[in-house]
Amino acid sequence: MNDRDRALLLRLQDGVPLVSEPYQAIAEDLGMTEAEVIARIGTLLSRGVVRRFAVRLDHRKAGILVNAMVAWRVPPGNVARAAEIMARFPEVTHCYERAVIPGRWEYNLFVVLHGRRRDEVDRDIARLSQAAGIDDYTVLVSTRELKRAPPGLALLLQEAVR
Amino acid sequence: MTDRDLDTLDRQLLEALQDDFPLAPRPWREIGDRVGLPETEVLRRVRRLADEGIVLAISPVLESARIGLPASTLIGMRVPPDRVDECASVVNREPGVSHNYLRDHDYNLWFTLAAGNDAALRRTVGGLAARAGVSSHDLLDLPSVRRFKIGVRFRFLPDGEEGT
Repeated sequence: MNDRDRALLLRLQDGVPLVSEPYQAIAEDLGMTEAEVIARIGTLLSRGVVRRFAVRLDHRKAGILVNAMVAWRVPPGNVARAAEIMARFPEVTHCYERAVIPGRWEYNLFVVLHGRRRDEVDRDIARLSQAAGIDDYTVLVSTRELKRAPPGLALLLQEAVR
Repeated sequence: MTDRDLDTLDRQLLEALQDDFPLAPRPWREIGDRVGLPETEVLRRVRRLADEGIVLAISPVLESARIGLPASTLIGMRVPPDRVDECASVVNREPGVSHNYLRDHDYNLWFTLAAGNDAALRRTVGGLAARAGVSSHDLLDLPSVRRFKIGVRFRFLPDGEEGT
């Protein structure tokens, strides 16, 4: 990633302008050509620096009010299989294996589910449990969002001012 | 303004906007072609969804591991209810923290933290705990071992109606 990529990514954090030729507008801001803007985004995507280039939503305002994290205790040899089963559910947005703290926290597989209502999410969790054959778990429903920032933005900003 | 009744076209648009945004000079026209709307109507509807605060931005999600933040962890803290705001403000000031939620559990404050390497991650966790006044037995540090899925995608149409 070079300075031009960084400038472009910083400009894009606020979103593409809602005009008919948004890349042209960004190009004019940054002193690039439209073709360069489009090509750079394509390269950042294909190199995996940008994981996704799509809409960011306030899902609560769109009616998706429930965010539940579920931590499962899965026998070590069974983690990949259980994770792959759970990851196939469209309601599951995140699925990670995590380190345990013996004696204090033995849940090693984490998923996050989003849904419209608590009872729907509870049903989804029951389906996950049944599909993966894991019944030792704890549910942590979010009651307040305290911070949700684009990951990595702060780092980009730090590098930009250097 | 929450959860107004989105019509089917808005729902189809919200689905289409969750795919990668077209890398073409007239991206809204391409989205319009997918959902069967003229470019001007796509823009009108997206602007309205943005005014309503449902659409925040069309923007790139950066892969932390590829921009110098390969180490990451999930922290759970047990914080007394009357100290939640104070602890949250300490945590939120840390630039490596991207998400922080209050959750209905004995461990009630949960956030993700990324750093340049494991040593930096441990230093940051130690510093945060000290500044937040949270002792080590009220803190869970759960580094990620393997990522199986990260695909934040919300469904706005019933199954079998993809709008394409």
